[in-house]
Amino acid sequence: MAPRESTRTPRAVLACGEIRTCLLPARQALDIRAAAQLLALRADERALTSERPGLYARSSDTLTGVDCPLPSANGARVRAVGTVAARAALTEGRVLQTSARFHLPATGPDRRRPWGEYLVRPGVVEPLGKLPHEAVAQGVLGGGRTGDLDAGLIAEGLLTRLLRHPLLDQRPPFRSRPTRLRWAALPAAPGEGFRLERFTLAEDELRTVRLRVPEDTPAAGLAALCEDLALHDWLLTTVVRMLDGVRLGTGAARDTGAVVRTLRPAVDHLLHLWMPRARVSPELAALWDPLEERPGFTRQWRTLVQRIRDQLTLHAIPTPHQEVEPVP
Amino acid sequence: MTDAVFRETAAEPRNRSVPLAHLSLELGHLYMEDFEAGPERLRSHFAEVRPWAEAARAAAAARTGGTRARISTCFLIDDYFTRFSTPAEVVPMLLAQAERAGLSVDYLARESGCAVTGKVPVAEAVAGRIVESPPPGSYGLRPPAAQTGWLANGERSPVARAPQAMKRAVEWQPPKETAARRHSVFLDVELWSDDADGHRTWSCPFLAAVWQLARLGLLRNEGEAVLVPQPHTTAGFPDDWDELPSLLRLNDRADPFAAYRTCSVLPTRFLPVEHAVRVILDQIEVDPGALEQVAERSGRERTPVPDSVADRVSYVYYPGL
Amino acid sequence: MLVFAASDKGGTGRSVTSANLAYQRALTGDHVAYVDFDFGSPTAAAVFDVPGAMRGTEERGLHSYLEGEVAEPARIDVWRQTEHPLLRARPNQSGRLVLFPGDAGGGEFAIGEESLQRCIDLLLRLNGEFDVTVVDLSAGRSYAVDMVLAATAHPRMRNVPFRWLVFHRWTRQHVIAASGLVHADHGIIGGGVERGHDKEALEAAIRFVRAAVPDPESPLWSQGSPAQAAWMQACDEALRRLAAEHAIGDSVVLGIVPLEPILQWREQLITEEDVLATQIANKETLEALEEIARRLTDDAHWGRP
Repeated sequence: MAPRESTRTPRAVLACGEIRTCLLPARQALDIRAAAQLLALRADERALTSERPGLYARSSDTLTGVDCPLPSANGARVRAVGTVAARAALTEGRVLQTSARFHLPATGPDRRRPWGEYLVRPGVVEPLGKLPHEAVAQGVLGGGRTGDLDAGLIAEGLLTRLLRHPLLDQRPPFRSRPTRLRWAALPAAPGEGFRLERFTLAEDELRTVRLRVPEDTPAAGLAALCEDLALHDWLLTTVVRMLDGVRLGTGAARDTGAVVRTLRPAVDHLLHLWMPRARVSPELAALWDPLEERPGFTRQWRTLVQRIRDQLTLHAIPTPHQEVEPVP
Repeated sequence: MTDAVFRETAAEPRNRSVPLAHLSLELGHLYMEDFEAGPERLRSHFAEVRPWAEAARAAAAARTGGTRARISTCFLIDDYFTRFSTPAEVVPMLLAQAERAGLSVDYLARESGCAVTGKVPVAEAVAGRIVESPPPGSYGLRPPAAQTGWLANGERSPVARAPQAMKRAVEWQPPKETAARRHSVFLDVELWSDDADGHRTWSCPFLAAVWQLARLGLLRNEGEAVLVPQPHTTAGFPDDWDELPSLLRLNDRADPFAAYRTCSVLPTRFLPVEHAVRVILDQIEVDPGALEQVAERSGRERTPVPDSVADRVSYVYYPGL
Repeated sequence: MLVFAASDKGGTGRSVTSANLAYQRALTGDHVAYVDFDFGSPTAAAVFDVPGAMRGTEERGLHSYLEGEVAEPARIDVWRQTEHPLLRARPNQSGRLVLFPGDAGGGEFAIGEESLQRCIDLLLRLNGEFDVTVVDLSAGRSYAVDMVLAATAHPRMRNVPFRWLVFHRWTRQHVIAASGLVHADHGIIGGGVERGHDKEALEAAIRFVRAAVPDPESPLWSQGSPAQAAWMQACDEALRRLAAEHAIGDSVVLGIVPLEPILQWREQLITEEDVLATQIANKETLEALEEIARRLTDDAHWGRP
């Protein structure tokens, strides 16, 4: 949105990033003013807040300087220098995300420039020499070696900083796990538009997204798309695990309280958050379509919501055999 | 998404533009000791400045290639580290001495305005924009050597931390300037100090860096310009420094205060401070909107500015008095 | 819930017992983290039988995390990565069991303010993710004990419930030492109060576990002479009196783990299989562990003695 990427920035051929998504550790969801306070990372820039179609707040970007090799699948050790931009967002005062991103031009100078020249290109990391962009994209998604550029560490660092905020009472309403989503956007073939090439559920907490986009698509917009994907993937993951933890069926029928205790937080805190594409630019919003087709994110969500409502309804009715149970 | 039907103002960033000259020419700083040395000191200062000020004007005119160069002059008085005398006494004397040397001061600034102006915590905001230059090997982990309140131009010597039991402590290593050419000129700058009550005092180089950013038109607070010149409407000057605006326009017909480039004419003893200013400026992420405005307008005027903010700043040092 | 496992001396079975408690809680469906703050000898990997998974975590364990060398400590999913054949088949409806190992080869180290903040970050995150977090602490009045006392007294952790288990063997020396660790001038309570804990609340959150206690009734000793049996009985009674005098009597004991031969030979998790099928472990041991695991979160067993 902001004219961050300066016109003097060389053409980008690869944009990458990583997003952390977690439950805000606070008993009450933050209202929009508290959210803006949490996300005020700087004294001179306020957090952007928005109330339609849901409460949403986003911090300004903060930069972290890097000078290190890029991860790459073919072992090429390309050194790169520049800044990684990171920001945080809070959805409905409940789900906290931190997102770090950078983009890379196809070539850079042979030696490091004065630092001030990198600072006028926020979010750009320049290779020294030529960038093997396919190998680097693969390296980023697969995870590099220790010492390779790691946007995840920067997202993690920002998350740690926010979680120390005194506004948070550290009483999460239920147990949940944070997720990580790594993404890389490679140039589309000339004349081709935006394409979501692959969305992978890797290990328990890691997701990877591979995109093809026309050259010079601003990285901030791509990050917004991936933040949206990460948010909804986290919602699915969290609600699935919640249902996993409930012992259903007749054997468990006696412990009605436990079922309600486990599922109620979903109703209180999560079910109203599902709103795919809400903060994604129109040309990128279409990238949701293949995921809705297969596996069908929204379809799965509706099924889960229905299951939770059914369970809660079921447990609101006293079971017949309890009523006729003889008193010893 | 600005073409959308529905808009929320709180959801969009904004940025105010400021008028810009070609050159902001600083005619000096005034500290208590200069004042105590009497009008003689100021007189000889301005006499030293005069030829260099003319040279700076000539250089600016050469860069604009024929069109009139917009040049404004300014002068900074320290009312932050030590409070002395009153504006009513100091300012007329200062202006008289400048005039005597054939110089005119367009804008007068108070140093405490670089710390806080009105309700805007300017220095704190700038401190929040420091992005440390990464030494090679920085891959995203928080730099373990970061020292709050200090900023270096390279890597410090490793601190002798108590090692884990039965592991050996690291041997001494020299500090290293990141941009060194073979040998280092390592500089570590103190940005502020806190006293026992938690009151923060900003360092002279840090406020001087803020001063440079103000003169370069690069300071914003929530998108609004900071340190906007106030016209001088009253006849004299107040008896209390706090009643003097942070930035005062003394000359109604002056060119804009902020400029594409700055030049300061100072005695040589300021060299270490200004070296520190450069180290700081080189590691500040300036408001991108403000940066964009300057780049766009200077480009349109065919007087492009260097990318690096620190390179927009220049100095003339004259031998000490 | 955070559970800190402490002991005054080594060889009390603290690590192996607390690992077994973590395992028992996971079997009942809780998500459990086991955090190895035994900085001087980080060996939890052996108990959970995950030596293979430890490779590659040498420089990414808790030592490196607390010293700021890595952003997140390595974690090992025990069900998935254990080499113990019985554990690998994760029982149905069991919760996650995740080990946070120390650096292999790591040592004790002094804790600065930044390490303390990182420790708080970690404990808060684990509390948000796991139902029970068992933290195994270096023996004695160690840096690890210091650090978690300071962490739990910090305002950021004011809403996080925690409990202490102090392990000791059933001998004169161990009884006196365990009491000293808790009640002496700079013990857990004194040190905790110095760091801002409320004395009574802290006392209410400390319980003792007597480990490797020989049961005179046990078949293990049935071959002994009547004189031996009488002597053991007398000793047991004398120890009870001693414990009571040292303020670690029965009212503050959460449980007693009988002397278990297989634990004398090898630190390991005791499974139902070990008791029922191969019969290498005693039923009483397993029952004791199950009971202590249950009592960890049963408020009836906690509070002011």
